[in-house]
Amino acid sequence: MIVDLKRLQTLLFVLCIISLQCKRNNSNGPVSISIKALDGLKFDKVRFNVKPGSKVSLTFENVSDMPHNMVITSPGAREKVVSAGLQLEGKGPEMNFIPAMDEVLWSIPVLSPGQSKSINFVAPSETGVYPYVCTYPGHGFTMFGEMHVTMDEDSAQEEKNDSAANKPKISENPHPYPLTPPYLYHVFIDGATPASIAVALPNQISYCWDAGTCSLRFAWKGDFLDMSDIWEGHFDASAKILGDIFFTDNTAFPIRLNPGSNPGVKYKGYRLVDRYPEFHYQVDGVDVYELITSKADSLGLVREFRIPNANKPVWYYVNADDAMKYEFSAGAFDKNKLKLSAAEAKKFTVTMTSYHLAYKMKD
Amino acid sequence: MKASSKILLLMFLVLLISFSITAQHAHDASYSVETIETPKGLTAQTGGIDFMPDGRLVACFMRGEVMTYNPATKQWKLFARGLSYPLGILAVNNTEVVVMQTPNLVRLKDTNNDGEADAYENETSDFGISGNYHEFNYGPARDKDGNLYIALNCASSGGGIRSIVRGELNTNGREGMDGRRQMFSVVPYRGWVLQLTRDGKLHPFASGFRSPNGIGFDLNNNLFVTDNQSDWVPTSSLYHVRKDKFYGHPASLVWRKEWKDRDPFNAPLEELDRIRTRAAVLFPQGIMASSPSQPIADVTNGKFGPFAGQLFIGEINRDRIVRVMLEKVDGEFQGACVPFLDGHGLRAGNNRLAFAPDGSLWVGQISFGGWPGTSGIQRIVYKGAPPMDIQKMSLTTTGFDLTFTQPVEQTSAADVKNYKIRAYRYEYKKKDINEGIDVANQFDVHDVNVTSSKISEGGKKISLQIQNLKPGFIYELTLGDIKSNDGGPIANRLICYTLNKLRTLNNQ
Repeated sequence: MIVDLKRLQTLLFVLCIISLQCKRNNSNGPVSISIKALDGLKFDKVRFNVKPGSKVSLTFENVSDMPHNMVITSPGAREKVVSAGLQLEGKGPEMNFIPAMDEVLWSIPVLSPGQSKSINFVAPSETGVYPYVCTYPGHGFTMFGEMHVTMDEDSAQEEKNDSAANKPKISENPHPYPLTPPYLYHVFIDGATPASIAVALPNQISYCWDAGTCSLRFAWKGDFLDMSDIWEGHFDASAKILGDIFFTDNTAFPIRLNPGSNPGVKYKGYRLVDRYPEFHYQVDGVDVYELITSKADSLGLVREFRIPNANKPVWYYVNADDAMKYEFSAGAFDKNKLKLSAAEAKKFTVTMTSYHLAYKMKD
Repeated sequence: MKASSKILLLMFLVLLISFSITAQHAHDASYSVETIETPKGLTAQTGGIDFMPDGRLVACFMRGEVMTYNPATKQWKLFARGLSYPLGILAVNNTEVVVMQTPNLVRLKDTNNDGEADAYENETSDFGISGNYHEFNYGPARDKDGNLYIALNCASSGGGIRSIVRGELNTNGREGMDGRRQMFSVVPYRGWVLQLTRDGKLHPFASGFRSPNGIGFDLNNNLFVTDNQSDWVPTSSLYHVRKDKFYGHPASLVWRKEWKDRDPFNAPLEELDRIRTRAAVLFPQGIMASSPSQPIADVTNGKFGPFAGQLFIGEINRDRIVRVMLEKVDGEFQGACVPFLDGHGLRAGNNRLAFAPDGSLWVGQISFGGWPGTSGIQRIVYKGAPPMDIQKMSLTTTGFDLTFTQPVEQTSAADVKNYKIRAYRYEYKKKDINEGIDVANQFDVHDVNVTSSKISEGGKKISLQIQNLKPGFIYELTLGDIKSNDGGPIANRLICYTLNKLRTLNNQ
């Protein structure tokens, strides 16, 4: 009789459990949570909600280019768990950098890029904020989120790790000093070698001088550059021009000391003259200095050249068919090229006015 | 639960906590970490630091600023700007520095003494740029004759190349078929260390580097370069770099005459393995360092503690500075690495190191793109109480000698159970296409028995006897509960010795 009662109790208990399970499965079922590890040491979600005691099916997918694990800790224990993970030292790799301690509630081992893994667990019965974190060495400092165990239906169910929202774009003033033209950046920029220098001039004029080819590549009107991608370290980042290009050099090279042949050039650097860079380079072994300013009417550029050691005539070529007006301080212009005597070449100025900008201005 | 067991548990907990506190704070009497306030508006992603002769710090930052800092007045001042990813700086004098940036090595001079550079002279740009975002450049380091050395990163498989490049393009340096995980070198001297002689000529010096974000000399004019773990670099390494040697990553080989028309990625592994020079020290990945940076020799003659002449190396991935002790065995450097300082307020992102005239070690830190860490500058100050630490680990014909900074407590030190040694190796190979870039597999992992520990030199030296030492293995030693003679704890219990060559009776 006693035995029978015990059996009955067990049966009743099992039935209870089953009915409870069924009820749970019928009403809301296991909650599926999907978390991804992204490039830049972050989870795609910084928060998700589950109800106390609910069944959770958690899938962790690593879509980044580094290995990551995922550890859910007891409330307030994230930093302690991260620090214990770092103390594993030699045992780290074989333990997936997950320390054996009570504060680690659930974990998913280190996943290589492209891998994913799911675990099932029953959420804690106590409400609270349960952190999750990647304890791979170095990652725990920045890569974490929160599992909220809550009855609250109204609060946000999950929160995306929206870096655009969390991190403002590079601000108006990205340096510890004001940006007043003229100033420059060494940049990767379309249409020039990766050794280019972009210069912001007064009057909304900017230009790209290519230290790889020792020549002015192009100039634009408008704002200067968006440097965000470069400064944020994006793959294949380049500086984006915030204006309209009004001049592009199409000559093989403008300055010729020996007509006909393509000159050999060598970049020597620049010095700042009232904060304007004066570029220094050699053309066929002869020193050339070039300083570019914007025209006061903001319709073009003024290029001041110095070739102090010129001892024979120098030719200066311009584009055959661009919508630019050229004015020269010296020399004889004929068929797209200017001929300067050795004496004239020691210092001369080329003023370039964009017909396009001038026309727009008339509007 | 009975009351007595509760008390027992409580006692155990208190013991545990007190133990972890003493372990963590073993260095507290010896070193402190201070954070240097950086100017408002500066994103202090530190690419280089050095000291000018007048004691000012000069530092460069990823957004192109070069700034000076006077430790006496705590004043920052702008020195130069507009550079691209400047990742190394060398102070020449109080008005002149040399900076390594993306397009060139540039000499910045303040010619009118207003504290700001006005001349940006091109020291050298005689190398290629494909425009791949990962073609970072490091250095310069200066030898005793005044030659400068720079190191060029390979391009990343995660990015492409630009339509206009600088320099000759050779696509043999990029693997076509399954090169998704291979860093590449399609323009001259990516993956090389180059030497700039005083006549301004840039010479290819040594090849085989992947991501050599650390270049520096020891006190005896030996050049050392760190490389970061991944394809062909099975765990991060410290190389003793000599002219014309090849250090293992094949991409750079295309810029050697005899390899010009070959595909180095698919050359026979035995051939690559035969021509490569082994690392002097390997940093076990995830254990010692995952992203080691600049090595710097302790030039302070004791002002920074008892490690004069040894190398300190920053670790980007966590709150650690690594210490390296080297010895020559059979004519080649090899040796051990040990965590020098963990935590104590030190942050992650430790990218650049420089000793100040007062003997403190300054640390330039960086967080950039996806790199873990914090941007800024900290300094580590030696407080004068020598730490209880391993001063030196050296190979003997029968095991290892450990020399401590202070005498050890003899009972615990004599117990061989207090020396747990594991040995393992990392395999030089092309990375499997499906293997994650940070995966570093250990091979032939086994426990190593210490058969005896003998104490000598007044308790400062322990000779461990080990049977069957094998070349090609890392010996990872974890110390048990060994204390100093006055009961103080040891600062660090983990030390890893890279055993390339055995000590024999002939090469002692």
